[in-house]
Amino acid sequence: MEVEVIKGLKFHKKQDVAIVGAGMTAFKRRMLETGKELSYYAVKQALEEAGLDIKDVEMVVLGSAPDAFDGISLKEEYLLEGAGGCDRPYMRYFVGGGTAVFAPIAGYWHVASGLADVCLVVCEEKMSCCQPHPQSAFKYIWDPILDRPLKPNLIWIFALEMRRYMHVNNVKHEDIALVSVKNKANALDHPCSHVAGKITVEDVLNSEPMALPVRRLDVSPPSDGAAALVMVAPHIARQLTDDPVWVTGVGWNLDTTHWTNRDLYFPRYTAEAARMAYRMAHITDPRKQIDVAEPYDPFDYKELHHMEGLGLAKKGEAPILTKEGVTARDGDLPVCPSGGLLGVGNPISAAMGVKVCEIYWQLAYRAGKRQVAKEVTTGICQAWGDLMQIGTVMVMSNKR
Amino acid sequence: MIDKIVDPEKLRHFPPGGGKIELYWLYTSGKAGNEFFRKLREGKFIAARCKKCGRRYFPPRIFCEFDFSETEFFEISGEGCVEAFTIAKLDLNENPMEEIIALIKLEGTDGRILHLIGEAKDVCIGMKVKPVLKKVDEMTGTISDIKYFKPV
Repeated sequence: MEVEVIKGLKFHKKQDVAIVGAGMTAFKRRMLETGKELSYYAVKQALEEAGLDIKDVEMVVLGSAPDAFDGISLKEEYLLEGAGGCDRPYMRYFVGGGTAVFAPIAGYWHVASGLADVCLVVCEEKMSCCQPHPQSAFKYIWDPILDRPLKPNLIWIFALEMRRYMHVNNVKHEDIALVSVKNKANALDHPCSHVAGKITVEDVLNSEPMALPVRRLDVSPPSDGAAALVMVAPHIARQLTDDPVWVTGVGWNLDTTHWTNRDLYFPRYTAEAARMAYRMAHITDPRKQIDVAEPYDPFDYKELHHMEGLGLAKKGEAPILTKEGVTARDGDLPVCPSGGLLGVGNPISAAMGVKVCEIYWQLAYRAGKRQVAKEVTTGICQAWGDLMQIGTVMVMSNKR
Repeated sequence: MIDKIVDPEKLRHFPPGGGKIELYWLYTSGKAGNEFFRKLREGKFIAARCKKCGRRYFPPRIFCEFDFSETEFFEISGEGCVEAFTIAKLDLNENPMEEIIALIKLEGTDGRILHLIGEAKDVCIGMKVKPVLKKVDEMTGTISDIKYFKPV
Protein backbone atom coordinates (compact mmCIF):
# COMPACT_ATOMS: atom_id res chain seq x y z
CA MET A 1 0.00 0.00 0.00
CA GLU A 2 1.20 3.46 -0.86
CA VAL A 3 1.12 5.46 2.34
CA GLU A 4 1.70 9.14 2.33
CA VAL A 5 1.60 11.01 5.62
CA ILE A 6 1.26 14.73 5.20
CA LYS A 7 1.49 17.02 8.20
CA GLY A 8 -1.83 17.17 9.96
CA LEU A 9 -3.52 14.79 7.55
CA LYS A 10 -3.61 11.01 7.61
CA PHE A 11 -3.54 9.99 4.02
CA HIS A 12 -3.34 6.35 3.05
CA LYS A 13 -3.92 5.68 -0.59
CA LYS A 14 -3.95 2.35 -2.37
CA GLN A 15 -3.66 3.80 -5.85
CA ASP A 16 -3.78 7.04 -7.82
CA VAL A 17 -7.03 8.10 -9.48
CA ALA A 18 -7.39 9.29 -13.06
CA ILE A 19 -10.31 10.82 -14.90
CA VAL A 20 -10.66 9.49 -18.44
CA GLY A 21 -14.09 10.62 -19.61
CA ALA A 22 -16.88 13.08 -18.89
CA GLY A 23 -20.29 13.91 -20.26
CA MET A 24 -23.17 16.26 -19.65
CA THR A 25 -26.60 17.10 -21.05
CA ALA A 26 -27.72 20.55 -22.07
CA PHE A 27 -28.81 22.53 -19.02
CA LYS A 28 -32.32 23.95 -19.43
CA ARG A 29 -35.88 23.35 -18.35
CA ARG A 30 -36.32 19.85 -19.72
CA MET A 31 -40.01 19.12 -19.42
CA LEU A 32 -40.03 15.96 -21.56
CA GLU A 33 -37.29 13.72 -20.19
CA THR A 34 -37.27 12.05 -16.80
CA GLY A 35 -34.22 12.33 -14.55
CA LYS A 36 -33.35 8.76 -15.47
CA GLU A 37 -33.33 9.61 -19.16
CA LEU A 38 -31.15 12.69 -18.56
CA SER A 39 -28.69 10.60 -16.54
CA TYR A 40 -28.54 8.02 -19.32
CA TYR A 41 -27.54 10.69 -21.89
CA ALA A 42 -24.72 11.97 -19.68
CA VAL A 43 -23.43 8.48 -18.80
CA LYS A 44 -23.47 7.37 -22.42
CA GLN A 45 -21.36 10.38 -23.42
CA ALA A 46 -18.86 9.90 -20.58
CA LEU A 47 -18.42 6.18 -21.34
CA GLU A 48 -17.93 6.91 -25.05
CA GLU A 49 -15.30 9.53 -24.27
CA ALA A 50 -13.54 7.08 -21.93
CA GLY A 51 -13.76 4.24 -24.46
CA LEU A 52 -15.48 2.00 -21.91
CA ASP A 53 -18.68 -0.03 -21.82
CA ILE A 54 -21.15 0.06 -18.92
CA LYS A 55 -20.10 -3.53 -18.18
CA ASP A 56 -16.57 -2.28 -17.37
CA VAL A 57 -17.96 -0.10 -14.57
CA GLU A 58 -17.40 -1.69 -11.15
CA MET A 59 -19.07 0.82 -8.83
CA VAL A 60 -21.36 3.80 -9.25
CA VAL A 61 -21.64 6.98 -7.21
CA LEU A 62 -24.74 9.12 -7.59
CA GLY A 63 -24.95 12.76 -6.60
CA SER A 64 -28.33 14.42 -6.36
CA ALA A 65 -29.41 17.18 -4.00
CA PRO A 66 -32.75 17.49 -2.14
CA ASP A 67 -35.47 14.95 -2.94
CA ALA A 68 -37.82 17.95 -2.80
CA PHE A 69 -36.74 19.08 -6.29
CA ASP A 70 -37.73 15.92 -8.14
CA GLY A 71 -40.58 15.24 -5.71
CA ILE A 72 -39.46 11.65 -5.24
CA SER A 73 -38.35 10.36 -1.84
CA LEU A 74 -35.21 8.22 -1.97
CA LYS A 75 -34.61 9.45 -5.48
CA GLU A 76 -31.34 7.50 -5.67
CA GLU A 77 -33.32 4.29 -6.22
CA TYR A 78 -35.55 6.07 -8.76
CA LEU A 79 -32.48 7.30 -10.68
CA LEU A 80 -30.54 4.04 -10.43
CA GLU A 81 -31.23 2.68 -13.90
CA GLY A 82 -30.16 5.87 -15.69
CA ALA A 83 -27.03 6.07 -13.57
CA GLY A 84 -25.99 2.53 -14.50
CA GLY A 85 -26.24 1.49 -10.86
CA CYS A 86 -28.07 -1.77 -11.46
CA ASP A 87 -26.27 -4.97 -10.40
CA ARG A 88 -23.28 -3.25 -8.83
CA PRO A 89 -22.37 -1.36 -5.64
CA TYR A 90 -24.18 1.97 -5.90
CA MET A 91 -24.43 4.78 -3.39
CA ARG A 92 -25.84 8.28 -3.31
CA TYR A 93 -24.01 11.19 -1.73
CA PHE A 94 -25.49 14.62 -1.22
CA VAL A 95 -24.51 17.80 0.54
CA GLY A 96 -26.83 20.24 -1.23
CA GLY A 97 -25.06 22.31 -3.88
CA GLY A 98 -21.72 21.02 -2.62
CA THR A 99 -22.67 17.65 -4.16
CA ALA A 100 -21.37 18.90 -7.54
CA VAL A 101 -17.82 18.33 -6.25
CA PHE A 102 -18.57 16.00 -3.33
CA ALA A 103 -19.92 13.16 -5.53
CA PRO A 104 -16.64 13.04 -7.50
CA ILE A 105 -14.75 13.15 -4.17
CA ALA A 106 -16.73 10.05 -3.19
CA GLY A 107 -15.83 8.53 -6.58
CA TYR A 108 -12.19 9.33 -5.77
CA TRP A 109 -12.20 7.39 -2.52
CA HIS A 110 -13.89 4.40 -4.19
CA VAL A 111 -10.86 4.13 -6.51
CA ALA A 112 -8.09 5.49 -4.23
CA SER A 113 -9.02 2.91 -1.59
CA GLY A 114 -8.59 0.13 -4.12
CA LEU A 115 -12.22 -0.99 -3.75
CA ALA A 116 -12.88 -0.20 -7.42
CA ASP A 117 -10.69 0.23 -10.47
CA VAL A 118 -13.47 1.79 -12.53
CA CYS A 119 -16.00 4.06 -10.84
CA LEU A 120 -18.72 5.99 -12.60
CA VAL A 121 -19.90 9.23 -10.98
CA VAL A 122 -23.31 10.53 -12.06
CA CYS A 123 -24.99 13.75 -10.94
CA GLU A 124 -28.59 14.57 -11.81
CA GLU A 125 -30.99 17.32 -10.89
CA LYS A 126 -34.42 18.11 -12.21
CA MET A 127 -35.68 21.34 -10.74
CA SER A 128 -38.36 22.30 -13.25
CA CYS A 129 -40.90 19.88 -11.78
CA CYS A 130 -40.82 21.56 -8.35
CA GLN A 131 -43.72 24.02 -8.03
CA PRO A 132 -44.61 26.79 -7.48
CA HIS A 133 -40.84 27.50 -7.80
CA PRO A 134 -37.74 25.41 -7.04
CA GLN A 135 -36.83 28.10 -4.49
CA SER A 136 -39.87 26.94 -2.50
CA ALA A 137 -38.02 23.72 -1.65
CA PHE A 138 -35.40 25.82 0.13
CA LYS A 139 -38.05 27.17 2.49
CA TYR A 140 -37.79 23.90 4.37
CA ILE A 141 -34.05 23.82 5.01
CA TRP A 142 -34.40 26.28 7.88
CA ASP A 143 -34.93 25.61 11.57
CA PRO A 144 -38.74 25.22 11.89
CA ILE A 145 -38.90 27.15 15.18
CA LEU A 146 -36.19 29.80 14.91
CA ASP A 147 -35.99 30.70 11.21
CA ARG A 148 -38.99 29.42 9.29
CA PRO A 149 -41.69 31.58 10.97
CA LEU A 150 -39.89 34.61 9.42
CA LYS A 151 -40.41 33.02 5.98
CA PRO A 152 -36.76 33.27 4.95
CA ASN A 153 -35.75 33.10 1.32
CA LEU A 154 -32.30 31.98 0.21
CA ILE A 155 -31.93 35.13 -1.89
CA TRP A 156 -32.21 37.22 1.30
CA ILE A 157 -29.31 35.36 2.84
CA PHE A 158 -27.18 35.83 -0.25
CA ALA A 159 -28.08 39.50 -0.30
CA LEU A 160 -26.88 39.80 3.31
CA GLU A 161 -23.68 37.96 2.48
CA MET A 162 -23.06 40.03 -0.67
CA ARG A 163 -23.67 43.25 1.29
CA ARG A 164 -21.25 42.14 4.00
CA TYR A 165 -18.61 41.19 1.40
CA MET A 166 -19.01 44.56 -0.35
CA HIS A 167 -18.88 46.48 2.93
CA VAL A 168 -15.82 44.78 4.48
CA ASN A 169 -13.78 44.81 1.26
CA ASN A 170 -15.10 48.12 -0.04
CA VAL A 171 -16.30 46.58 -3.31
CA LYS A 172 -18.83 48.20 -5.65
CA HIS A 173 -21.68 46.33 -7.31
CA GLU A 174 -20.28 47.24 -10.74
CA ASP A 175 -17.07 45.35 -9.91
CA ILE A 176 -19.08 42.29 -8.93
CA ALA A 177 -21.30 42.54 -12.03
CA LEU A 178 -18.18 41.99 -14.18
CA VAL A 179 -18.26 38.35 -13.10
CA SER A 180 -21.75 37.89 -14.52
CA VAL A 181 -20.70 39.65 -17.74
CA LYS A 182 -17.62 37.41 -18.07
CA ASN A 183 -19.35 34.12 -17.27
CA LYS A 184 -22.39 34.67 -19.46
CA ALA A 185 -20.06 35.56 -22.35
CA ASN A 186 -17.86 32.49 -21.70
CA ALA A 187 -21.01 30.35 -21.80
CA LEU A 188 -21.65 31.41 -25.41
CA ASP A 189 -19.02 28.81 -26.32
CA HIS A 190 -20.64 26.04 -24.26
CA PRO A 191 -23.02 23.79 -26.21
CA CYS A 192 -25.01 23.03 -23.04
CA SER A 193 -25.67 26.57 -21.85
CA HIS A 194 -29.00 27.79 -20.50
CA VAL A 195 -28.51 31.56 -20.09
CA ALA A 196 -25.43 32.59 -22.10
CA GLY A 197 -25.31 36.08 -23.53
CA LYS A 198 -23.39 39.21 -24.30
CA ILE A 199 -24.41 41.61 -21.54
CA THR A 200 -22.94 44.72 -19.95
CA VAL A 201 -22.39 45.84 -16.38
CA GLU A 202 -25.28 48.28 -16.86
CA ASP A 203 -27.57 45.41 -17.84
CA VAL A 204 -26.77 43.72 -14.53
CA LEU A 205 -27.19 46.89 -12.45
CA ASN A 206 -30.49 47.70 -14.15
CA SER A 207 -31.92 44.18 -14.02
CA GLU A 208 -34.91 43.32 -11.85
CA PRO A 209 -34.17 43.76 -8.12
CA MET A 210 -34.67 40.54 -6.13
CA ALA A 211 -33.31 41.28 -2.63
CA LEU A 212 -31.01 44.26 -2.90
CA PRO A 213 -28.20 44.35 -3.73
CA VAL A 214 -29.01 41.08 -5.55
CA ARG A 215 -30.59 41.61 -8.97
CA ARG A 216 -31.81 39.11 -11.54
CA LEU A 217 -28.57 39.05 -13.58
CA ASP A 218 -26.48 38.51 -10.44
CA VAL A 219 -28.11 35.08 -10.09
CA SER A 220 -27.87 31.74 -11.91
CA PRO A 221 -31.13 30.10 -13.11
CA PRO A 222 -32.65 26.84 -11.86
CA SER A 223 -31.92 24.28 -14.58
CA ASP A 224 -32.45 20.58 -15.27
CA GLY A 225 -29.51 18.45 -16.31
CA ALA A 226 -27.15 15.59 -15.69
CA ALA A 227 -23.40 15.06 -15.80
CA ALA A 228 -21.15 12.01 -15.58
CA LEU A 229 -17.50 11.27 -14.98
CA VAL A 230 -15.39 8.10 -15.27
CA MET A 231 -12.68 7.64 -12.63
CA VAL A 232 -10.17 4.82 -12.99
CA ALA A 233 -7.05 3.25 -11.50
CA PRO A 234 -3.66 3.95 -13.16
CA HIS A 235 -3.38 0.57 -14.92
CA ILE A 236 -6.81 1.12 -16.54
CA ALA A 237 -5.98 4.72 -17.45
CA ARG A 238 -2.83 3.55 -19.25
CA GLN A 239 -4.88 1.23 -21.47
CA LEU A 240 -7.32 3.97 -22.41
CA THR A 241 -5.37 7.15 -22.99
CA ASP A 242 -1.94 8.73 -23.12
CA ASP A 243 -3.18 11.84 -21.32
CA PRO A 244 -5.36 11.07 -18.31
CA VAL A 245 -6.09 13.78 -15.80
CA TRP A 246 -5.13 12.90 -12.21
CA VAL A 247 -7.00 13.83 -9.08
CA THR A 248 -4.22 15.12 -6.85
CA GLY A 249 -6.17 16.47 -3.91
CA VAL A 250 -9.64 16.45 -2.38
CA GLY A 251 -11.04 18.36 0.55
CA TRP A 252 -14.30 19.11 2.27
CA ASN A 253 -15.27 21.02 5.36
CA LEU A 254 -18.40 22.23 7.12
CA ASP A 255 -18.84 25.44 9.07
CA THR A 256 -21.49 25.78 11.79
CA THR A 257 -25.17 25.35 10.90
CA HIS A 258 -25.80 28.51 12.94
CA TRP A 259 -25.01 30.60 9.91
CA THR A 260 -25.99 33.78 11.76
CA ASN A 261 -22.96 33.22 14.00
CA ARG A 262 -20.52 33.44 11.11
CA ASP A 263 -18.96 36.55 9.64
CA LEU A 264 -20.31 36.20 6.14
CA TYR A 265 -17.65 38.24 4.37
CA PHE A 266 -15.24 35.27 4.11
CA PRO A 267 -16.05 31.59 3.29
CA ARG A 268 -14.10 29.74 5.96
CA TYR A 269 -15.65 26.42 4.86
CA THR A 270 -13.98 26.81 1.47
CA ALA A 271 -10.65 27.90 2.93
CA GLU A 272 -10.54 24.84 5.21
CA ALA A 273 -11.62 22.45 2.45
CA ALA A 274 -8.96 23.94 0.16
CA ARG A 275 -6.34 23.60 2.88
CA MET A 276 -7.05 19.86 3.04
CA ALA A 277 -6.91 19.46 -0.76
CA TYR A 278 -3.74 21.57 -1.06
CA ARG A 279 -1.91 19.50 1.56
CA MET A 280 -2.73 16.39 -0.41
CA ALA A 281 -1.77 17.97 -3.73
CA HIS A 282 1.41 19.58 -2.33
CA ILE A 283 0.21 23.05 -3.21
CA THR A 284 1.74 25.79 -1.10
CA ASP A 285 1.06 28.85 -3.27
CA PRO A 286 -2.28 28.34 -5.01
CA ARG A 287 -2.17 31.66 -6.88
CA LYS A 288 1.06 30.57 -8.62
CA GLN A 289 0.50 26.82 -8.82
CA ILE A 290 -3.10 26.72 -10.06
CA ASP A 291 -3.53 27.41 -13.77
CA VAL A 292 -7.31 27.31 -14.17
CA ALA A 293 -10.18 27.44 -11.66
CA GLU A 294 -13.87 26.68 -11.50
CA PRO A 295 -15.10 28.06 -8.19
CA TYR A 296 -18.81 27.75 -7.46
CA ASP A 297 -20.61 30.77 -8.92
CA PRO A 298 -24.38 30.56 -8.30
CA PHE A 299 -24.18 34.33 -7.73
CA ASP A 300 -21.59 36.66 -9.24
CA TYR A 301 -20.16 37.75 -5.85
CA LYS A 302 -19.79 34.05 -4.91
CA GLU A 303 -17.11 33.54 -7.57
CA LEU A 304 -15.07 36.32 -5.94
CA HIS A 305 -15.89 35.12 -2.42
CA HIS A 306 -14.83 31.57 -3.27
CA MET A 307 -11.67 32.67 -5.14
CA GLU A 308 -10.61 34.34 -1.91
CA GLY A 309 -11.56 31.25 0.10
CA LEU A 310 -9.47 29.10 -2.23
CA GLY A 311 -6.51 31.42 -1.78
CA LEU A 312 -6.48 32.33 -5.48
CA ALA A 313 -6.76 35.96 -4.40
CA LYS A 314 -6.13 37.77 -1.15
CA LYS A 315 -9.16 38.97 0.80
CA GLY A 316 -10.77 41.74 -1.23
CA GLU A 317 -8.45 41.18 -4.18
CA ALA A 318 -10.69 39.00 -6.40
CA PRO A 319 -12.69 41.95 -7.82
CA ILE A 320 -9.42 43.66 -8.77
CA LEU A 321 -8.15 40.55 -10.59
CA THR A 322 -11.48 40.36 -12.40
CA LYS A 323 -11.35 44.00 -13.42
CA GLU A 324 -7.80 43.60 -14.73
CA GLY A 325 -8.87 40.65 -16.90
CA VAL A 326 -6.71 38.15 -15.01
CA THR A 327 -9.70 35.80 -14.66
CA ALA A 328 -10.73 36.01 -18.32
CA ARG A 329 -10.33 32.96 -20.51
CA ASP A 330 -7.15 34.42 -21.99
CA GLY A 331 -5.96 35.78 -18.64
CA ASP A 332 -3.23 34.57 -16.31
CA LEU A 333 -5.72 32.77 -14.04
CA PRO A 334 -8.82 31.84 -16.06
CA VAL A 335 -11.80 31.49 -13.72
CA CYS A 336 -15.02 29.75 -14.80
CA PRO A 337 -13.93 29.37 -18.44
CA SER A 338 -16.97 27.10 -18.90
CA GLY A 339 -19.34 29.98 -18.29
CA GLY A 340 -20.09 28.60 -14.85
CA LEU A 341 -23.48 28.40 -13.22
CA LEU A 342 -24.18 32.01 -14.15
CA GLY A 343 -23.88 31.26 -17.85
CA VAL A 344 -24.33 27.53 -18.41
CA GLY A 345 -26.97 27.04 -15.71
CA ASN A 346 -27.43 25.70 -12.21
CA PRO A 347 -28.86 22.20 -11.91
CA ILE A 348 -27.49 21.95 -8.31
CA SER A 349 -25.56 18.64 -8.18
CA ALA A 350 -25.29 18.36 -11.98
CA ALA A 351 -23.21 21.55 -11.82
CA MET A 352 -20.47 18.89 -11.72
CA GLY A 353 -20.60 19.31 -15.52
CA VAL A 354 -19.27 22.87 -15.36
CA LYS A 355 -16.98 22.35 -12.38
CA VAL A 356 -15.25 18.95 -12.24
CA CYS A 357 -15.94 17.94 -15.87
CA GLU A 358 -14.79 21.37 -17.12
CA ILE A 359 -11.47 21.23 -15.26
CA TYR A 360 -10.98 17.70 -16.60
CA TRP A 361 -11.69 18.91 -20.16
CA GLN A 362 -9.38 21.92 -19.72
CA LEU A 363 -6.48 19.81 -18.38
CA ALA A 364 -7.03 17.15 -21.07
CA TYR A 365 -7.06 19.93 -23.73
CA ARG A 366 -10.54 18.77 -24.76
CA ALA A 367 -12.45 21.99 -24.01
CA GLY A 368 -12.68 23.01 -27.67
CA LYS A 369 -13.68 26.66 -28.08
CA ARG A 370 -13.57 27.07 -24.31
CA GLN A 371 -9.92 25.97 -24.01
CA VAL A 372 -8.04 28.61 -22.05
CA ALA A 373 -5.20 30.44 -23.81
CA LYS A 374 -2.42 29.60 -21.38
CA GLU A 375 -0.69 26.26 -20.95
CA VAL A 376 -2.34 24.34 -18.11
CA THR A 377 -1.07 21.71 -15.69
CA THR A 378 -3.09 22.11 -12.52
CA GLY A 379 -6.71 23.06 -12.02
CA ILE A 380 -9.12 23.40 -9.15
CA CYS A 381 -12.87 23.20 -8.80
CA GLN A 382 -15.07 23.87 -5.83
CA ALA A 383 -18.71 23.77 -4.82
CA TRP A 384 -20.70 25.03 -1.89
CA GLY A 385 -23.86 23.79 -0.25
CA ASP A 386 -25.87 22.39 2.64
CA LEU A 387 -27.05 25.37 4.71
CA MET A 388 -24.45 27.63 2.99
CA GLN A 389 -21.82 25.88 5.10
CA ILE A 390 -19.95 23.19 3.16
CA GLY A 391 -16.95 23.66 0.92
CA THR A 392 -15.99 20.81 -1.42
CA VAL A 393 -12.75 21.07 -3.37
CA MET A 394 -10.92 18.95 -5.93
CA VAL A 395 -7.46 19.62 -7.36
CA MET A 396 -6.47 17.94 -10.62
CA SER A 397 -3.36 17.80 -12.73
CA ASN A 398 -2.36 16.41 -16.09
CA LYS A 399 1.01 15.48 -14.55
CA ARG A 400 1.06 12.58 -12.15
CA MET B 1 -48.37 -5.23 22.25
CA ILE B 2 -49.95 -2.45 20.27
CA ASP B 3 -48.97 1.21 20.46
CA LYS B 4 -52.00 3.47 20.86
CA ILE B 5 -51.94 6.60 18.72
CA VAL B 6 -52.45 9.73 20.85
CA ASP B 7 -52.59 13.40 19.89
CA PRO B 8 -49.03 14.65 20.50
CA GLU B 9 -50.16 18.29 20.42
CA LYS B 10 -51.91 17.72 23.75
CA LEU B 11 -48.75 16.47 25.42
CA ARG B 12 -46.71 19.69 25.42
CA HIS B 13 -46.43 23.05 23.79
CA PHE B 14 -45.94 22.89 20.04
CA PRO B 15 -46.55 25.76 17.62
CA PRO B 16 -50.23 25.32 16.77
CA GLY B 17 -51.15 23.38 13.66
CA GLY B 18 -47.64 22.03 13.14
CA GLY B 19 -45.88 22.75 9.87
CA LYS B 20 -46.49 21.72 6.30
CA ILE B 21 -44.26 21.35 3.30
CA GLU B 22 -46.24 23.16 0.67
CA LEU B 23 -44.83 21.96 -2.61
CA TYR B 24 -46.24 20.21 -5.61
CA TRP B 25 -44.61 18.71 -8.64
CA LEU B 26 -45.18 18.42 -12.34
CA TYR B 27 -44.08 14.91 -13.21
CA THR B 28 -43.13 13.86 -16.70
CA SER B 29 -43.56 10.33 -17.98
CA GLY B 30 -40.41 10.91 -20.03
CA LYS B 31 -39.64 10.19 -23.66
CA ALA B 32 -40.65 6.53 -23.43
CA GLY B 33 -43.67 7.23 -21.23
CA ASN B 34 -44.88 9.90 -23.60
CA GLU B 35 -44.97 7.38 -26.42
CA PHE B 36 -46.57 4.69 -24.23
CA PHE B 37 -49.46 6.86 -23.03
CA ARG B 38 -50.04 8.31 -26.49
CA LYS B 39 -50.46 4.77 -27.87
CA LEU B 40 -52.65 3.82 -24.93
CA ARG B 41 -55.13 6.48 -25.99
CA GLU B 42 -55.44 4.52 -29.25
CA GLY B 43 -56.02 1.35 -27.22
CA LYS B 44 -52.59 0.01 -28.13
CA PHE B 45 -49.84 -1.33 -25.86
CA ILE B 46 -46.14 -0.98 -26.58
CA ALA B 47 -43.03 -2.44 -25.00
CA ALA B 48 -39.35 -1.76 -25.78
CA ARG B 49 -36.70 -4.21 -26.95
CA CYS B 50 -33.00 -3.61 -26.30
CA LYS B 51 -31.21 -3.48 -29.64
CA LYS B 52 -28.20 -5.25 -28.12
CA CYS B 53 -29.34 -7.89 -25.63
CA GLY B 54 -32.96 -8.26 -26.73
CA ARG B 55 -34.41 -7.78 -23.23
CA ARG B 56 -38.04 -6.70 -23.61
CA TYR B 57 -39.00 -3.88 -21.26
CA PHE B 58 -42.50 -3.18 -20.09
CA PRO B 59 -43.33 -0.40 -19.39
CA PRO B 60 -41.14 0.74 -22.32
CA ARG B 61 -37.86 2.65 -21.83
CA ILE B 62 -35.59 4.46 -24.26
CA PHE B 63 -32.49 2.62 -23.04
CA CYS B 64 -31.48 -0.73 -21.59
CA GLU B 65 -30.36 -0.39 -18.00
CA PHE B 66 -27.98 -3.36 -18.27
CA ASP B 67 -25.94 -2.49 -21.35
CA PHE B 68 -26.87 1.16 -21.99
CA SER B 69 -27.98 0.49 -25.58
CA GLU B 70 -30.93 2.10 -27.27
CA THR B 71 -34.23 0.26 -27.49
CA GLU B 72 -36.92 -0.04 -30.16
CA PHE B 73 -40.63 -0.02 -29.42
CA PHE B 74 -42.92 -2.86 -30.51
CA GLU B 75 -46.60 -3.58 -30.07
CA ILE B 76 -47.92 -6.13 -27.55
CA SER B 77 -51.42 -7.37 -26.71
CA GLY B 78 -51.54 -5.90 -23.20
CA GLU B 79 -52.71 -9.22 -21.80
CA GLY B 80 -50.82 -10.84 -19.01
CA CYS B 81 -50.70 -13.34 -16.23
CA VAL B 82 -51.01 -12.84 -12.46
CA GLU B 83 -47.73 -13.74 -10.73
CA ALA B 84 -48.65 -12.63 -7.21
CA PHE B 85 -51.57 -10.87 -5.54
CA THR B 86 -52.83 -9.45 -2.29
CA ILE B 87 -56.25 -8.49 -1.04
CA ALA B 88 -55.85 -5.12 0.67
CA LYS B 89 -58.14 -4.64 3.68
CA LEU B 90 -56.84 -1.41 5.25
CA ASP B 91 -55.68 1.77 3.54
CA LEU B 92 -52.68 3.91 4.60
CA ASN B 93 -54.70 5.58 7.34
CA GLU B 94 -56.00 2.23 8.50
CA ASN B 95 -59.51 2.76 7.15
CA PRO B 96 -61.27 -0.33 5.78
CA MET B 97 -61.04 -0.98 2.03
CA GLU B 98 -61.17 -3.97 -0.29
CA GLU B 99 -59.16 -4.21 -3.47
CA ILE B 100 -57.28 -6.97 -5.26
CA ILE B 101 -53.77 -5.85 -6.13
CA ALA B 102 -51.70 -7.97 -8.46
CA LEU B 103 -48.27 -8.21 -10.00
CA ILE B 104 -48.95 -8.91 -13.66
CA LYS B 105 -46.42 -10.26 -16.15
CA LEU B 106 -47.17 -8.87 -19.60
CA GLU B 107 -47.25 -11.35 -22.46
CA GLY B 108 -44.43 -11.05 -24.97
CA THR B 109 -42.25 -9.03 -22.58
CA ASP B 110 -39.90 -9.56 -19.65
CA GLY B 111 -41.73 -6.89 -17.65
CA ARG B 112 -44.36 -6.81 -14.93
CA ILE B 113 -46.59 -4.08 -13.56
CA LEU B 114 -48.55 -3.48 -10.42
CA HIS B 115 -52.27 -3.10 -11.04
CA LEU B 116 -55.78 -3.74 -9.76
CA ILE B 117 -57.89 -6.76 -10.60
CA GLY B 118 -61.55 -6.05 -11.36
CA GLU B 119 -64.63 -8.01 -12.44
CA ALA B 120 -63.22 -11.12 -10.77
CA LYS B 121 -64.95 -13.44 -8.31
CA ASP B 122 -61.70 -15.10 -7.48
CA VAL B 123 -58.02 -14.59 -8.20
CA CYS B 124 -55.17 -17.06 -8.42
CA ILE B 125 -51.56 -17.17 -9.50
CA GLY B 126 -51.32 -18.00 -13.20
CA MET B 127 -54.67 -16.38 -13.99
CA LYS B 128 -54.76 -14.79 -17.46
CA VAL B 129 -55.92 -11.19 -17.40
CA LYS B 130 -56.55 -8.42 -19.91
CA PRO B 131 -56.63 -4.66 -19.47
CA VAL B 132 -59.75 -2.51 -19.24
CA LEU B 133 -59.00 1.05 -20.34
CA LYS B 134 -60.65 4.29 -19.25
CA LYS B 135 -62.52 6.34 -21.83
CA VAL B 136 -60.11 8.49 -23.83
CA ASP B 137 -61.53 11.75 -22.42
CA GLU B 138 -60.95 10.45 -18.85
CA MET B 139 -57.31 9.54 -19.51
CA THR B 140 -54.66 11.66 -17.76
CA GLY B 141 -51.42 10.06 -18.91
CA THR B 142 -50.76 7.89 -15.86
CA ILE B 143 -50.97 4.16 -15.24
CA SER B 144 -54.55 4.72 -14.03
CA ASP B 145 -55.50 5.18 -17.71
CA ILE B 146 -55.77 1.42 -17.40
CA LYS B 147 -58.80 1.04 -15.08
CA TYR B 148 -57.91 -2.50 -14.02
CA PHE B 149 -57.17 -5.93 -15.41
CA LYS B 150 -59.95 -8.51 -15.63
CA PRO B 151 -59.91 -12.26 -16.18
CA VAL B 152 -59.71 -13.28 -19.85
